Amino acid sequence: MSTLDLLLHGFGVAFQPVNLLMAFIGSLLGTAIGVLPGIGPALTIALLMPVTTSLEPASAFIMFAGILYGAMYGGSTTSILLNTPGESGSMMTALEGNQMARRGRGAAALATAAIGSFVAGTIGTLALSFVAPAVSELAFIFGPEDYFALMVLSFTTISVVLGNSPLRGAIAVAVGLGLGVIGIDAQTGQSRLTFGSLDLLDGIPFTIVLVSLFAVGEIIYVASRGPERDGGINPLSGGIWMTREDWKRSWKPWLRGTALGFPIGVLPAGGSEIPTFLSYAVEKRLSKHPEEFGSGAIEGVAGPEAANNAAAAGILVPLLTLGLPTSATSAILLSAFQGYGLQPGPLLFVNNAELVWGLIASLYIGNFMLIVLNLPLAGMWVRLLMIPRPQLYAGIVIFALVGVWGLSTSWFDLLLMFAMGLLGYAMRLYDFPAAPVLIGLILGPMAEQQLRRALAISQGDPVALVSTPISATLLGLALCIVLLPPLLRHLARRPAGGERRAVSRPAP
Amino acid sequence: MNDRVAPRPWWVPAGVIGFGAVMLYGATQLGQSDAHSGVGPGLFVTIIGIALILLGTALGVQVARGVAFTSTEGADAYDEVDDEDRTHRGPLLLAIASLAAPLVLMQAAGFPLTAAVVFAGIARAFGSRRPVVDILTGAVLGGVAWFFFNWLGVNLGPFLPWLTER
Repeated sequence: MSTLDLLLHGFGVAFQPVNLLMAFIGSLLGTAIGVLPGIGPALTIALLMPVTTSLEPASAFIMFAGILYGAMYGGSTTSILLNTPGESGSMMTALEGNQMARRGRGAAALATAAIGSFVAGTIGTLALSFVAPAVSELAFIFGPEDYFALMVLSFTTISVVLGNSPLRGAIAVAVGLGLGVIGIDAQTGQSRLTFGSLDLLDGIPFTIVLVSLFAVGEIIYVASRGPERDGGINPLSGGIWMTREDWKRSWKPWLRGTALGFPIGVLPAGGSEIPTFLSYAVEKRLSKHPEEFGSGAIEGVAGPEAANNAAAAGILVPLLTLGLPTSATSAILLSAFQGYGLQPGPLLFVNNAELVWGLIASLYIGNFMLIVLNLPLAGMWVRLLMIPRPQLYAGIVIFALVGVWGLSTSWFDLLLMFAMGLLGYAMRLYDFPAAPVLIGLILGPMAEQQLRRALAISQGDPVALVSTPISATLLGLALCIVLLPPLLRHLARRPAGGERRAVSRPAP
Repeated sequence: MNDRVAPRPWWVPAGVIGFGAVMLYGATQLGQSDAHSGVGPGLFVTIIGIALILLGTALGVQVARGVAFTSTEGADAYDEVDDEDRTHRGPLLLAIASLAAPLVLMQAAGFPLTAAVVFAGIARAFGSRRPVVDILTGAVLGGVAWFFFNWLGVNLGPFLPWLTER
């Protein structure tokens, strides 16, 4: 069957009434939770995970698609109106968008973000429909040593890309890897690092780590910063629609943002930070009104927002075809797949074609649903932001409790949530990025499995790890990523060291 | 930001090294290699343990040099973190205590009542001064969440355990 046939078949799955309903509920819930300050798409999916437990896999993933897009839309709303990006991908949106909102142009900023997301999401999904099957064909030639090399590359790039400091990024990855080995070893059945605890045999649940690091740790941190100094929300005014001038200034950034976002999202270590930064820089350079940047240039919202959504579609390519998560959001999606006993990878396209194509089709639908629903409903979501801060954060904790206690009503899970929350607070305090912990946690066991498989085939000869051109190249790249930056910094130190761009790490 | 969290947070690298040491200790009880694959269940644990200790040591060197842990800005609600970087001990401890409350309450009192206590505690840590309203809000929110998620097929334990379980 050709890609088009498969896609049409996927639409057949996604258009089933129950699945349409799931996409609708998903985007509604996703927006409602995602609009809360500090809650990004990954956390939204984690919090809503228990809701999907009683669903068929196909319906559940269609709902996730809705949640994902809803949460991204909600996140950009919060970024623009409150200047509180819930994930790194919407930081650039907050930069210009919030300035626009302060100047009474909030509605136009929301509109350009929403339409830009729609355009980018649609083009990105279209690209995904054609790139993913091709990559999955390619992925069949990957041997265990190639997978292992790919994952090592992923660990190193994640350390460098996410957060302010490569060292702290690497520590975060290592902590995640360490947490990942706890529990029963899948290959020998031996229990590892459980120290006699029965509760640890099943390992550390991914959802709990995500919720605790991002929500619980964040809340302790924000509480510890002391009482509120009210910044206030910027009221929506100036009409819901964009002016002719706005359209003229927005459409090119949408397309350019998409062109940057998707390809970078596809790369094994892309994520959504780099394309949004790049898009912002590009728009600033190309704009006819560069003086407006920093005080509310609409291009600075349109471009990065499009890049963010296109990257979100791009990230699904390595996730679905190689099983490789490159962001906190795709890590939680991967854990959802594993929860249903599915392992993303080339075989997924063969064995679960219906599910994969249903999911891809529902990305189109979710995208469309959002623009139809949320452009008119923007005012309602804004009202959610008017809940007073103490009650808002207290409510978020209740949601987190539902997410953790609802998993298996286990006391140990609550203890884990508390401990991980304290860890999250410490990481927040000392500026460790949290997303690498999650990626290490979920990718670690997979990397170990590939490593052991590769060494089993070679009967323990470590040379096998670099025996194929792919694995040798990928490991070489990984080495470059670790060694080059300090080397370059050393070289650059002589002519007065350049200022390193400070990139802060918001919770996703 | 010049005002760092603490001038020399030694306990952070110590914690990383400590975690690495636990890994290595755990690895000693596992086989490092086996006849079948050449790699035993302990090898990966050993590698991570060593990596953590090396990285922790590198962090210790940074701490000794006084490298700044740049505060993350931009991610917080209402910009409030930017202009003040001081830890407020009272709200911090109250927030931590509220988050520990489910450990004591959840199994005995059930979800809605636990939610009421946690909600009121967190709200107070964030500066709310209406405990009665907060407790009621939390109880209602917890109750509604219990019924809503129960309807969706999520088990949140017995509603009021001390009523149903004698």
